[in-house]
Amino acid sequence: MSIAVRIEQVSKIYPLGKTSVQALKEISLTIASGEFTTIAGPSGCGKSTLLNLIGCMDTPSTGEVLIEDQPISRLSDRELTRLRLNKLGFIFQSFNLIPVLTVFQNIEFPLLIQGGLTAKERAGKIEALMEEVGLKDQAKQKSNELSGGQRQRVAIARALVTNPRIVLADEPTANLDSATGERIIKLMKDINKTHQTTFIFSTHDPQVMQQASRIIRLKDGAVVQV
Amino acid sequence: MRILEVPSLVLRVSFRNLWLYRLKTIIIATLLGMGTFIAIVGLTLLKDVETSMRASIIGSVAGHLQLYSKQAKDDLAIFGSSFMGRQDIGFIQDLAVYRDAVMSNPEVQDFIPMGSDMGMLGRGNEMDDSLDALRAALKGGDPTIITDRVDQLRFQLETLVKEIKERRKLLSDMTQLDKQELDLKQAMDPTFLEGVKRGEEDRLQFLETRIAPLSGEKQPIYLMYLGTDIGLFEKNFSKFYVKEGQALPPGQRGILLSNKVREDQLKNIVARLFDRLKKRVVRSGVEIAGDPENQRLAQDLTRQYGQVTAYLDRDEALSLRTKLEAYGIKPGTEDLILGLTEQLKSFLTVNDTNFVERYDWFYQNIAPMIRLYEISPGETIMLRSYTRSGYLKSLPLKIYGVYSFQGLEDSDLAGVMNIVDLVSFRELYGQMTDASLKELQEMRAQVGIKDVSAENAEDALFGEGASGHIEAERVAPPVVPAEATIQVKPMIPELFDPIEIQSGLALNAAIRLKDESQIDKVRQKLEEQLRARGLEAKVVDWQKASGFVGQFVNIVRGVLIFALVVIFIVALVIINNSIIVGTLNRMREIGTMRAIGAQKSFVVGMFLAETAITGMIGALLGTLLALSVLIFLGWKGIPATTDVVTFLFSGPRLHPKLHPWILTLSPIVIVIVATLASIYAARHAAHIQPAEAMQEKE
Repeated sequence: MSIAVRIEQVSKIYPLGKTSVQALKEISLTIASGEFTTIAGPSGCGKSTLLNLIGCMDTPSTGEVLIEDQPISRLSDRELTRLRLNKLGFIFQSFNLIPVLTVFQNIEFPLLIQGGLTAKERAGKIEALMEEVGLKDQAKQKSNELSGGQRQRVAIARALVTNPRIVLADEPTANLDSATGERIIKLMKDINKTHQTTFIFSTHDPQVMQQASRIIRLKDGAVVQV
Repeated sequence: MRILEVPSLVLRVSFRNLWLYRLKTIIIATLLGMGTFIAIVGLTLLKDVETSMRASIIGSVAGHLQLYSKQAKDDLAIFGSSFMGRQDIGFIQDLAVYRDAVMSNPEVQDFIPMGSDMGMLGRGNEMDDSLDALRAALKGGDPTIITDRVDQLRFQLETLVKEIKERRKLLSDMTQLDKQELDLKQAMDPTFLEGVKRGEEDRLQFLETRIAPLSGEKQPIYLMYLGTDIGLFEKNFSKFYVKEGQALPPGQRGILLSNKVREDQLKNIVARLFDRLKKRVVRSGVEIAGDPENQRLAQDLTRQYGQVTAYLDRDEALSLRTKLEAYGIKPGTEDLILGLTEQLKSFLTVNDTNFVERYDWFYQNIAPMIRLYEISPGETIMLRSYTRSGYLKSLPLKIYGVYSFQGLEDSDLAGVMNIVDLVSFRELYGQMTDASLKELQEMRAQVGIKDVSAENAEDALFGEGASGHIEAERVAPPVVPAEATIQVKPMIPELFDPIEIQSGLALNAAIRLKDESQIDKVRQKLEEQLRARGLEAKVVDWQKASGFVGQFVNIVRGVLIFALVVIFIVALVIINNSIIVGTLNRMREIGTMRAIGAQKSFVVGMFLAETAITGMIGALLGTLLALSVLIFLGWKGIPATTDVVTFLFSGPRLHPKLHPWILTLSPIVIVIVATLASIYAARHAAHIQPAEAMQEKE
């Protein structure tokens, strides 16, 4: 089994005026490809910081993060951005759809940035994904015309459209009711099984945690349970 | 990923943001639209004013180039410099060698010698005019005309008697008034006037020296004059035309009056005041009521009734009284003079309701009766000027005609010069011509002076240690302080050999080229050619030669550019600030894009696109508005409200033209500059870290 994410003695320190805050304290862990892993812990435990590091949106203060054996600490902003585009997908707590664009256009966005596909090829991919997430008939609707659950589905489709190796979700059900949240987690699980995409998501919802195949618990910036 | 591959995506996102923050969009678009409007209209008007001013200057008196002495202490300023007093531009001793040098250049069309200076025109009063007319009648010998002139004189004497009576109310010292009344009594005695009819010289002199001054002395007028070869002048200055009379015949000394000078300074004051009011009321649309300047003119007009009555004989006075009565203004008394005075006072009291009607009535009924202009073609004037040695010289000059410049009739700048022949100019300047040198030799022989040359003749004759003594004649009326003048009568003949103005003195020369676009090139070439022949001269282009007037367009251009720069800076500061503020509102959106995989360049491109689109909208609207305004102004014309503006517009109105390159380039430049200037703010937005953007709440 290949390793999707390897974290080696990673610390992250944020300056705070004249002092500093250590959000992560020399943590080490690995996440295998195809895992459906949740990172759990109370507020301020370092969940988001860890997800940002894995998501290549930030770099560690010490230690190393390797995405599919590629160390990221020495990469330039441009290289990190390209890595995010080609290997990672993101699902946000507040969905983060682009309001002026339709469902179709929101899902298409990363493909346009990536380039290399014709309009027809893009359309084929998007329609398949929309079918998969259950949004076949909502292609032309704007995001503000959708329910919370539907918006999150669009976000999931957008995150998957570039065939990422890893999908990161930061509290994906926080803004959804429990029933909808359950359905979203189920969808993510199904996709995980079908596409063998590694899912790493943070949550503090125990019901959501139960759905994960593995829970990484954090407390005060350190791993307490894997 | 390049922006160009996803234009519709960028445009869609950009348009959304522009609509979402529409107030900001409207403000920025308005600023850029305003800038575009000012740039297009300003540049168009500037170009057109430049073109018309160029035409005015080149076509009136400057030519394409001007040549003058390298020894000049002052720069040549054809329309006057900012300093009062005469310019010292030196002189060209012999223009023939300079003309040969200049004309050898194949690009040169003509070489027109010139010189300008200022002189004084002494003026008599109405009684002086009447006495001149009487003398002319006595010379003619026709008894009917003589009786008519004496009757007019008698009428003026009666008017004068009444004026003296009025003065008694104002003055305290009666001694002088008593003397004046006695003199008038003597003059009005029937036997005295019979003697006048017979042309008795002592009686005529009594009238000229004791009675005429009682009418008051008019201020002398200062006349600018330009001496030139009138044939070449007429040929080369397309705007020049003779309005009345004829041009100076070749080989004949004389003067052409400027129509503007004649209208502004030599016209009857009543007519002048009417004209000035008409210009302000009718042309500029300023009402009499409520405007201090117009009210002052109107009040002045009411007081000038004497400038009508002074020119009337008894019959004319009676006729005018009747006409005014028919017009609806009745005399208050039986006395002709007093009654007419009251009628005229009433007629000359104008307001917004009656002005235009009274103006027309004046010109139809009163103007033909009076002497509308002090001097007219056919008459001879005495022009006095200080020579370069400092002596006052007088020269009689026949007025051949009145001239003006096409489209510049109302301009002081173009019309300030009266034109004389070059020979007369040289006389007044102090350079003796062949004929006057001969006259001097004869005078010298009379008083026994040794040989003198033309150049230092005046010094030898009249300077310190001079051995000659010439009796100074009083030529001015007694009230003027006596000046020793040389009565040149006729010092030089009216005719001269045209060859005389092919060489000899001039102060400067206008040069006309065959191709206007070669001005700079030819100017440099001419300076080289002159240097090669050992000739020292300055050659300047028309703009430099025009002094302040020529620089006017540069000043206006500077002001316009300054205004545009100020608007631009304000607009750019607002644009940059609005982008920076916008990024605060769009942190999540920017962060999401960056997180998904959009490079910084994508974010920069998105913001630049928004600025560019806003700029294009504003520039398009600004262009459309400017186009509408220019089309309207091109049809209606912009009126020239002052004389200076008339000169700049080369006429009473400027009709702006559409210049395609201004209409297309202005908005493009504005959009590009605005877009580029927003790079700083766009880069600021692009540097937002995805991680910090994810922290922001919407």
